[in-house]
Amino acid sequence: MTSWFQRLSDRDRIGVVALIPILALLVLLIAVPPDGSERAQWGQFIGRFHPLAVHLPIGLILLVPILELVGRSPRFSYLRPSAGFVLGLTTVSAIAAAGLGWCLARSGGYSGPLVTQHMWGGISLSFFCWICWMARGRLDTGRWRLLYPLALATTIAVMTWTGYRGGQLVRGEDHLTEVMPGGMRKFLGVSVPLKMTAASSVNTFYGGRIQPIFAGHCITCHGPDKHKSNLRLDSYGSLMRGSKHGPVVKAKDLHGSELFRRISLSPTDDDFMPKQGKRPLSPDEVKLIEWWIAAGASDALSVDAIKTAPAQTTAAAEVTFDRIDAAEVARQRAGLASSVAKLQKRYPNILEYESRGSVNLVLNASLLGDRFRDADLDALSPVADRVVVADFSRTGITDRSAPALATMKRLRVLRLVDTKITDVTARVFGGLDQLESLSVFATGVTPASLPTMAQLLKLRHLYVGETTIRADGTIPEALKGKVLF
Amino acid sequence: MPDFETKPDGRHSRASNGEVDRDVRQALLQAQTRRHFLRTLGSGLGTVFMGTLAAKYATSANTARPAPASPDLDFTRDPSTPLSVLPPQFAAKARRVIYLHMAGAPSQLELFEHKPELTRLNGQDCPASFLAGKRFAFINGVPKLLGSQYPFHQAGQSGHWISDRLPHLEKHMDDLCLIKSMRTDQFNHAPAQLLVQTGNARLGYASFGSWVLYGLGSENQNLPGFIVLLSGGKSPDGGKQLWGSGFLPSVYQGVQCRSHGEPVLYLENPSSISRPLRRIMLDAIDAIDQQTYTDFGNPETVTRIAQYELAFRMQMEATDAMDIRKEPDSVRARYGSKPGVASFANNCLVARRLAERGVRFIQLYHWGWDSHGAAANEALNIGFADRCRETDQPIAALLDDLQQRGLLEDTLVVWGGEFGRTSMRENRGGQEMKWVGRDHNPGAFTIWLAGAGVKPGITHGETDDMGYEIVRDPVEVRDLHATMLYLLGFDHHKLNYRFQGLEQKLTSVKPARVVPEILA
Repeated sequence: MTSWFQRLSDRDRIGVVALIPILALLVLLIAVPPDGSERAQWGQFIGRFHPLAVHLPIGLILLVPILELVGRSPRFSYLRPSAGFVLGLTTVSAIAAAGLGWCLARSGGYSGPLVTQHMWGGISLSFFCWICWMARGRLDTGRWRLLYPLALATTIAVMTWTGYRGGQLVRGEDHLTEVMPGGMRKFLGVSVPLKMTAASSVNTFYGGRIQPIFAGHCITCHGPDKHKSNLRLDSYGSLMRGSKHGPVVKAKDLHGSELFRRISLSPTDDDFMPKQGKRPLSPDEVKLIEWWIAAGASDALSVDAIKTAPAQTTAAAEVTFDRIDAAEVARQRAGLASSVAKLQKRYPNILEYESRGSVNLVLNASLLGDRFRDADLDALSPVADRVVVADFSRTGITDRSAPALATMKRLRVLRLVDTKITDVTARVFGGLDQLESLSVFATGVTPASLPTMAQLLKLRHLYVGETTIRADGTIPEALKGKVLF
Repeated sequence: MPDFETKPDGRHSRASNGEVDRDVRQALLQAQTRRHFLRTLGSGLGTVFMGTLAAKYATSANTARPAPASPDLDFTRDPSTPLSVLPPQFAAKARRVIYLHMAGAPSQLELFEHKPELTRLNGQDCPASFLAGKRFAFINGVPKLLGSQYPFHQAGQSGHWISDRLPHLEKHMDDLCLIKSMRTDQFNHAPAQLLVQTGNARLGYASFGSWVLYGLGSENQNLPGFIVLLSGGKSPDGGKQLWGSGFLPSVYQGVQCRSHGEPVLYLENPSSISRPLRRIMLDAIDAIDQQTYTDFGNPETVTRIAQYELAFRMQMEATDAMDIRKEPDSVRARYGSKPGVASFANNCLVARRLAERGVRFIQLYHWGWDSHGAAANEALNIGFADRCRETDQPIAALLDDLQQRGLLEDTLVVWGGEFGRTSMRENRGGQEMKWVGRDHNPGAFTIWLAGAGVKPGITHGETDDMGYEIVRDPVEVRDLHATMLYLLGFDHHKLNYRFQGLEQKLTSVKPARVVPEILA
């Protein structure tokens, strides 16, 4: 006695079998719905393939009407038979995608009406696909003639709606409407969306200053649709309720406010918020939250209550490093390279490039002391115009080196501590217009040279200790505040 | 080998030719050490075998990497001048570092952290939340909160709070950059000091000064590039590894000098050896070392030759550099230093002289800041006050001198300990102790930086009202290292050395970031 199952055709048998996972998913959705907690890693990992897997049934279900319609013409009649196969594939892939979706919803911290609607949509979609598949090719006569086309149209409509809901889950409820052109918005009757579920009055400090921060950085993961750790930041009440671990904001207690702790960590820290590549809060925003918590974390505080600090610190950019293009550097140094090499051999360890990527030079003759004299400074003339930092402290140079010094036009830092130079050399300083720091400590320079040095626009520090220049003497206006005695 | 023997009856007789031959042959055999045997082995069967293997395995992918070179920056030098100057990776302000390490961990709550709330709660029981989940070195049970033992006031145009213990340093308040949110994960001295100085709490890693020498070389070839001076009566707990070279070639290690008497023990020639005679001796040693290098090819041999030469040059220059009698009385008085007496003040004056002479990394350790309160010299109102007195004036004078000469523009000065101290009074064994002290607190401590590339007159980071934990901008020790290396002109990832299959770096393996807020 053959069972009714064995009497079915192959296709129908597969159809019945396919019904089982659909019913299973239905049971799962009712009995084990997503509840906003995050769970087992496997569930989360597998579930994250849902956004990927879902594209297959979407593509396939859109293909079916194309095959049916285009297949009506005699030239493409071979297309029509394949529609059935494609429908079968759609059903199976829709079921699989729905299953992955349940894993994701269950394990990924989702809850709320949006995700529930999306899941119902997904399961209904699987069921409608199944109906299309079973209805195709039979019940073609009489009143049932329209069943298949209607079922197909319904399926596509359900898919569109489910897909839209899915997009909102990932990108936010208003991800389409917020960029909708004004005319279209009016036509559809869509209002400018409220970002917060319980928007506090903008006249309060919380409503006007703090809530927008959360809206801009936090509610994608801590909002009505997705709330990691059961923390919602979309209203004052839910903020103060805290997460599943307890309150995240404690009035006047920065130390005990987990929310504040997390946003002030170093970006490389594991606990840093916001995570997952979301834009971090600016230092001003962190500061605002800090003041608000320190002032009592109340939603009744007026928006003008806390006077923000006068100096808004500009956010210090994180430091980055440029790559050094060795070939380019070698090319730039080509003209100098042989002179530099020769001089380095003659005067070891006192002459070196400013950096690995630079063509400028740094000279520290102080190490040679008395042995470095005017003649030696002359010997450096081939490279003199590329020297940017020069230290001749305690060397044997005299005023006879003044012309040689004058050729060092790129000098930024010049030190002549404890040398025999006098105002004669100081006269050439006026021509060194890149000078930022000049030290004539313990030299023969007198106040007569101050006007020359006052011409240097970029000069920031002038060291004149142990000279005849005194603090109580006349200091040119341009040098006030830059001279150190 | 004797060419005559003493016979039992006391006569001497010349050995026969045969005996001499035998003795010579024996001596020659004994002169062939195992090392020689293994070396010549390579030219025999061994080489033939290796040749067959080499042909099989030699592809471009398998050819050995040149030994320790950074793939991005090349730090190789001629082995006879291992400390020659190299340019930094990019143009930077700092060209030398003076690191003042206060060994023992100075109490930030008695120096820079003004916590009136803590003072108000002085004597009350410490709340449980401060104790939960923490390990303490000595605190037991429920200690009492301890307010600052000294009054605070604001100083300088920046208006930073400072206690009354540092009256001289106060004048430089607008030059300092205070970091109040330093953090470490070590709560005992030796590993914490190792972490601060070598980037790793275990032994075997290269110290900061070694990295700087490796990266930049030493300008003055007649002095060690990395000099360490100790004061306070004891060496720091971390030991000599704090200035050791770890896995870097040993030529980059710090040289501990003395600030009175001979800078380095046994540097001077003994009375019977003149300098020319020493030169002849060194030439002979050089010749033997050169032969060894030709035989075995170990680059450390060439470095050894270089170090002997350095010691010879140091005989002239080191004594002169470290001799503070050459400074006028007025200068010595400003530091509070006395020649012949080992002190932090002497060390500071020597540090300035060394900075003028192109020493790359000068490190001063002052011992005795471990204010537990278990003895008078550990008490916050006795020993701690002494330490402040010993260091305040010299540090201020050092900053003065560097600034006057313009050297502060390219010298990075750092002051700090290895961790902080607790807001609670230490109660060793659960009892109230006779003297007042604090236990270790790795959760927050204060350091300051001054000089090259540092933004002066600011404070970075903040601790809570009790001064116990950081609430804003925590800075890990590795972040500080990354920032200091940045000021010296290096990306901390690129100043590296291949060892044990890893590109080792000062900031070790955890992610570190340069702190942009303290950069000028």
